[in-house]
Amino acid sequence: MIHCDAVLCVGCRMCEVACSTFHFGAVSPALSRIKVTKLEAIGIEVAIACMGCAEKPCIECPTEALSVGATGHILLERDLCNACEICVEVCPVGAVGFFDEEPLFCDLCGGATSCIDACPTNALSSRDAGVSLAAYLEVAGLAREKRAHYAEQLAAPIRESWKQGVRVDS
Amino acid sequence: MSICSGNSLRIDLTTHEISRGLTPDNGIGGRTWNSVTLLDELKPGIDPLGPENLLCISVGPLTGSELIATCRFIASAKSPLTGYLGDSGARGFFAPELRWAGHDQIVFTGASERWVYLFIDNDRIEIRDASDLVGLDITETTVQLRSELRDPDIQVAAIGPAGENLVRYAIISCNLTRAAGRTGMGAVMGSKKLKAIVVRGDRPVRPVHPERFRAACALLQSNIEGHRQFESRRKYGTTRIMDSLAEMGVLPAYHYRSAVYADLEKVSADALRRDHVVKSKACYNCNVYCSRYNYTSYSEGEGPEYEAQAGFTIKCGNSDLELGVHASNIVNRLGLDCISTAEVIAWLMECRHEHVISDSDVDGIDLSWGSRDALLRIPNMIAHRQGIGSLLAEGTRRAAEKFGTNARKLTAEVKGLELFSADPRGIKGYALMNAVNSRGGDHYRGEPMIELTGDEDLAVRRVGNPNAAHRLAEDGKGALVNYAEHMGLLSDSMTICKNISCCMDVVDFDLAAEAYSGLLGRDVTAHDLWNVCSRVSQVERDFNLREGLRREEDTLPSRFIDVPIPDGPSKGTTVDIGRLVKDYYREKGW
Repeated sequence: MIHCDAVLCVGCRMCEVACSTFHFGAVSPALSRIKVTKLEAIGIEVAIACMGCAEKPCIECPTEALSVGATGHILLERDLCNACEICVEVCPVGAVGFFDEEPLFCDLCGGATSCIDACPTNALSSRDAGVSLAAYLEVAGLAREKRAHYAEQLAAPIRESWKQGVRVDS
Repeated sequence: MSICSGNSLRIDLTTHEISRGLTPDNGIGGRTWNSVTLLDELKPGIDPLGPENLLCISVGPLTGSELIATCRFIASAKSPLTGYLGDSGARGFFAPELRWAGHDQIVFTGASERWVYLFIDNDRIEIRDASDLVGLDITETTVQLRSELRDPDIQVAAIGPAGENLVRYAIISCNLTRAAGRTGMGAVMGSKKLKAIVVRGDRPVRPVHPERFRAACALLQSNIEGHRQFESRRKYGTTRIMDSLAEMGVLPAYHYRSAVYADLEKVSADALRRDHVVKSKACYNCNVYCSRYNYTSYSEGEGPEYEAQAGFTIKCGNSDLELGVHASNIVNRLGLDCISTAEVIAWLMECRHEHVISDSDVDGIDLSWGSRDALLRIPNMIAHRQGIGSLLAEGTRRAAEKFGTNARKLTAEVKGLELFSADPRGIKGYALMNAVNSRGGDHYRGEPMIELTGDEDLAVRRVGNPNAAHRLAEDGKGALVNYAEHMGLLSDSMTICKNISCCMDVVDFDLAAEAYSGLLGRDVTAHDLWNVCSRVSQVERDFNLREGLRREEDTLPSRFIDVPIPDGPSKGTTVDIGRLVKDYYREKGW
């Protein structure tokens, strides 16, 4: 699955551009399965895509449209989906997109991982599925608010390092 | 021939009516649409801060596309600082979002009685109450709106206290610090009691001929990655120019009293990176990501770019870099143009040095060179129009009228717009650009960067004259500035970052034509684009002539014409501005 190192992310959103272009031949962040969350007032940004987490609350889909693929990513059976958006709501880190009556899960571009190729800072890399997001299961709010909450957790140690004097070339 | 037009949203802030129309059909996006709209619709002689002024905000067909760094919106109106055509672009992420919402231009007319903000969610457009945002700075405004709307991702372009209080060089900023900085567009927004524009959009930008379009995108990317400045631009952004300007001997130290700055190492790009830069930052879809985030003992924020860094250090004789960075952060939050603000402070310091004014003329502020008191207090007093700040909020030209002839002689502005942090005497193309362009004292209308790199081959390719690449040569500069103006206008219409298109010179009219052709699905030639830029450049001149512009105003302050650079590598140089302007007029056929 796609992992983003928030220390390296500069927030250019080239991953979103690559993702939406790869899947739809057009650019819009709403079409992207990876989403860059920016906490501009504290200088932190991070890209978030489905991590194939151990908990997978999305899989409790009421119409059983979702299943787990070979690499741990989520597969959508489009004919079974009734666009209820429950999967979008329950994702602990707000990583499920939704556009044109369809939830959007990172599918690793079928192995092409176009976002990793596009990232100019090497902030993105592949990581095994199964990371635990148990700490985020009780987070309330809209998907975009959950993404911001996740970014805030990553921000704390980075900002502490700045306070301690760590600079970009340190 | 019409190349493209877009959707234009009309917001009447007097009646709160919203209507939809089309942009002019004889432009190519961004600034071309705005300038034509203003010439067509604005009555001559109106008060720029009255309800008759229009505020136009445009993106273009390429904005928010796959083409690198198509990230800018252009805000245009009659300028309250110059009285002529005003416009300024801001990078970041607001412009693509506006494009994704399906709106290519917003034209604000009239003025609201109470403070409002404009909310856009694709087709849903609402004028909303902003009374709880009044008095907030740009960061606070953005954070509060995102919190209230429960949308951390929503894009916000806002004014700060400076715009609310009609400071004539107030900015409009998105993403907290990406500013439409020049010519006071924030004051026009404030005069309409429009505190912010908030936008969310999700409509895809889809090229009609994807292969053709992507070939242009790939060419631009490889041009950038193969450029000899690529790594240094990534590392330092615009601050990289400080060392070059020092080598040429064109620093504006102590407000142009010296071209050499003894404490350069303390305030250099390397010092900034070593002591205060904690990370790089990017604008939309940019692989150069040349912006940086600073962290100091007093404050933090994105930036500074070269202008703020040099303006609040070298120009003011301040060798405390952390103080300069802090001043930049303050100015950004208040919503002031960092170039004009630094110029106001540095000019006051020189006036005091020359005994033209004393500290008591400025409410007892210590105006000695590098004064912490001045750098930290004056921006706040300007933005809130407190005490002497109210006069300084009018800009150096108007303020000098109060302080007398000797103060007037020390100003560094053209047509009322304050000059950048370099000495035009030692860079003749920039001298000419500052003298003749439609905004006034401005280096960024287009960048005659070739004379800084000295690349003769490129000079021949662009304007057919190798001498144009020599910064001290006066020959060839009319053609160079004409070309740079065309490139600037093209960039302001493609809405691409000018640091890439103009300064790196990695976009030309052929590449642009392929991008437009691929996106629009029709053949657009380099010749077509050049002609549009020539025509709209004339539209902008006509606008200014209608407002009373005289040829005598196409000049520089006399201190750059009569007084040679006193020291350093460019010692003894002045500018024969009359010759340069004549050469430029010949190019334009005026």
